[in-house]
Amino acid sequence: MGDLPYDQWEPVIGLEIHVQLNTQTKIFSTAPNRFGDDPNMNISNACTGQPGALPVLNKEVVKKAVQLGLAIDANISKVTTFDRKSYFYPDSPRNFQITQFENPLLIGGEVRANGKSFQIDRAHIEDDAGMLKHFTNFAGVDYNRAGAPLIEIVSKPCIHSAQDAAAYAAALRAIFLYLNISDGNMEEGSIRMDANISVRPKGETSLRPRIEIKNMNSFSFMQMAIDAEVKRQIKLYLNHPHRDPLELIPPGTYRWDAESKQPVLMRHKESSDDYRYFPEPDLPPVILTDAYIDELRNTLPELPHDRYNRYLSDLDLTPYSAEVLVNEKTLADYFEEALKTCHSPRTLCNWITIEFAGRLKDTGKTLATLGIPPKHVAKLVEMIESHKITGRIAKSVADDMLKSPGYDPEKIVTANPDYQPLDNLAEIELMVDQVIAENPQSIQDYKEGRDKAFAFLVGSVMKLTRGKASPHIVNQLLKKKIE
Amino acid sequence: MLPLHHLSAIQIRDAFLKGDISAVQIVHHFLSRIESYDDALGAFLSVLNARVLLKAEALDKKRARGLPLGKLAAIPIAIKDNMHIQDEITTCGSKFLAHYRAPFSATAVDLMEKEDALLIGKTNLDEFAMGSSNENSAFKPAQNPWNLQCVPGGSSGGSAAAVGARLCSIATGSDTGGSIRQPASFCGIVGYKPTYGRVSRSGLVAFGSSLDQIGPLTTTVADAALTMEVIGKQCDYDATSLDLPAECYPLPKELEPGTVIGVPWHFLENLSASSRQNFEEVIRVLKDLGAKIVEVNLDLLKHSIAVYYIIATAEASTNLARFDGIRYGVRPPECKTLEEVYDYSRRMGFGREVKKRIMLGTYVLSAGFQDAFYKKAQKVRTLIINAFDEAFSHCDAVIMPVTTSGAFEHGAIHDPLEMYLQDIFTVPANLAGLPGISVPSGYDSRGMPLGLQILGPQMCDVSIMQIAHAYERATQHAKIPEAYG
Repeated sequence: MGDLPYDQWEPVIGLEIHVQLNTQTKIFSTAPNRFGDDPNMNISNACTGQPGALPVLNKEVVKKAVQLGLAIDANISKVTTFDRKSYFYPDSPRNFQITQFENPLLIGGEVRANGKSFQIDRAHIEDDAGMLKHFTNFAGVDYNRAGAPLIEIVSKPCIHSAQDAAAYAAALRAIFLYLNISDGNMEEGSIRMDANISVRPKGETSLRPRIEIKNMNSFSFMQMAIDAEVKRQIKLYLNHPHRDPLELIPPGTYRWDAESKQPVLMRHKESSDDYRYFPEPDLPPVILTDAYIDELRNTLPELPHDRYNRYLSDLDLTPYSAEVLVNEKTLADYFEEALKTCHSPRTLCNWITIEFAGRLKDTGKTLATLGIPPKHVAKLVEMIESHKITGRIAKSVADDMLKSPGYDPEKIVTANPDYQPLDNLAEIELMVDQVIAENPQSIQDYKEGRDKAFAFLVGSVMKLTRGKASPHIVNQLLKKKIE
Repeated sequence: MLPLHHLSAIQIRDAFLKGDISAVQIVHHFLSRIESYDDALGAFLSVLNARVLLKAEALDKKRARGLPLGKLAAIPIAIKDNMHIQDEITTCGSKFLAHYRAPFSATAVDLMEKEDALLIGKTNLDEFAMGSSNENSAFKPAQNPWNLQCVPGGSSGGSAAAVGARLCSIATGSDTGGSIRQPASFCGIVGYKPTYGRVSRSGLVAFGSSLDQIGPLTTTVADAALTMEVIGKQCDYDATSLDLPAECYPLPKELEPGTVIGVPWHFLENLSASSRQNFEEVIRVLKDLGAKIVEVNLDLLKHSIAVYYIIATAEASTNLARFDGIRYGVRPPECKTLEEVYDYSRRMGFGREVKKRIMLGTYVLSAGFQDAFYKKAQKVRTLIINAFDEAFSHCDAVIMPVTTSGAFEHGAIHDPLEMYLQDIFTVPANLAGLPGISVPSGYDSRGMPLGLQILGPQMCDVSIMQIAHAYERATQHAKIPEAYG
């Protein structure tokens, strides 16, 4: 089977996603849970591991985790406990992490993305470590992040492509944002992903040796990393059909090197990796009542998947654009606001997710942050739909709106003579005649049933009007003249 | 008036409240006793002269102005040196923390200070509270005031020696496997270990987190009760703190009629002759006081030591992982790499016993061994809790000696297992989270003190204190060692 081509192989991917929660204070202390301050400003005796300081659970963390559990339809453990995970590293103030090993808060669940359902194995709450900073002649540790609350969500090995892995992760991020449990800020590391990757010939049911790529904080890098790793593994199997899989792919921990675009080995996993988990004696079990869980269930906000379904059924959006909108909560919220004064959801969606998004790409800005009111975008779309302006003019108006945010598109159009639609029929007719005269071959083609030819003719007239005439009118005039 | 150090804590407070004596006089009296005796005794690791004098002056002013005074007003109290007093050094009896200045006060310390206690010093202990003789202190051994050749017990040996020699009226201890009760017994004083969770562990440097409990060492049961009224409070900084209102400890003169006391005779069958004789005398007294004595089956307790040394060391191995030389404590300058920082810091910072227990604890948690050791020990711990539940369904309290014999001489016990077996009667209370008290019950043939231990069901702190009080009143065994009179 070693000579099977690439497409006969199936990647098997499991993701561990760490999401940093947006609680006011840390998970086991009252220190502020805040990013971006000077080093070691947001620390307490507990988060620097001072002797005698004890962890006390922040109940907000449990609340947010239960909300996540309800959103992904997980089983919520009524009794959940904490464990100590021991390892020495300077960013770990106690040299053990407080996590949940035996009795995680959430068990099972599913996340829908890319038209598929992905199974969750478990999710648990734990504390984050600090950050090591290296300087020219010394290293320091910043404990601001130590004790930041995390939920780790472990998927089953049920993901079979890099693209699905990214879609699954993006769908989870959308859930975090809708529940307001995390700021979801990728650049700041609020969501970090570890991917466990193996491959096997299609049809094989057992799992082959896997490696782990740790600590990725970008969906596109993750997709690249998984793709590269999958190719690497398949190639190894293809080139060495008779070697022991464990020799070919020794289990190890890798990191993604964005420069070389390759996974880089950090260390081989040894059987001696022993975290010596045991129950955290400083924290009693967390006991949740049905009433508590029901209360949270009843106050859940609309979730991305519900919104996605609504966009498909009520607004007739395409699955692709619905997903693009829904995955970015602020964008979807903006869309909803604009929809209040706009009657064309599809066109509105296109302008928000394609036209404006394209113009704003790589600027780090959004319509909302620029201060362009949703009703202005709605008005622009309404002007297009009622043929007050053509699509071509609309694009220029959009450029102007971005240049002077807050300026009403209707006023932009009135103030600029170039944006006045050409509605003088006689004038357009002249141009139609000119195009007909210059393109006898196209007219012949059209008469022989080639629709492309007609589109060419329309395009030619539009060009002469410099995009100011309504394509609708040009269409009608052309048809009338030719027939 | 008697010399101050012949008074109980409550008597000192009352004399101060009445205006018979000033807080500054009290402080001078006890500071001068420390000065005279402690070089030989080794009870204190630090004496807080300046701090305590300032506090005494402030108290005298407060009294002069007629302001309300706290429950512990002007009582000289020593703090075991594994509990934080903010801005003072907490060594834990370890070189590792020789210069560690506490960034906050233990809740128990804070509560005592708020009640106007005079914190006079920090007492000696076995390093990180690991030991039964105080011989594991990294700085100096403490001695037994009844005989300087003998150990004061451990790990709260400095606290027991200080109170035994009346260098202060009350000292705090921490009890993980008997570290309050055993030294109290060896030094002829009262030692009280509350129900697990009754006193906040915040600010106590952890040894075995599921076992540790802070409590008082005093010369009378009433003084222990007073201390508990102050420190036995729910605390937001300790998640295992019991969510119960603070208790009052009324101490009637008589034993409550109908009190039933259980004796696990079978478990006690290997007592030495003198200890057995003393214990039988205790039973006679309790019967005279009206108690009904029944036999209870606690044979399972013979596994306590094994279970205890697995659980306590497992927890300790992780609790002490934070002492790594990164943030505080020892870091030898020759360290060049991270591995060396860990290696040299711990090698130089920790003593032999601490290293041994960290290794033992790491071992019992390791993959492949955890099931055979740690998990099995947890199961037996549950069985021990059940055995106590069963016993307490037949009686109000269980009694046994605190130790197998009176205080032993320095260096007398070399075999580590024999040393660990010193705790056989005290560790069960920690495993089951029970309140336990050690009360003087007489003296052995060498004249060394012996102690009676009374254990109650969880939360029944008040009732065992009451039994202890009735017994103390009937026997009056406590006295000041002659040399310190």
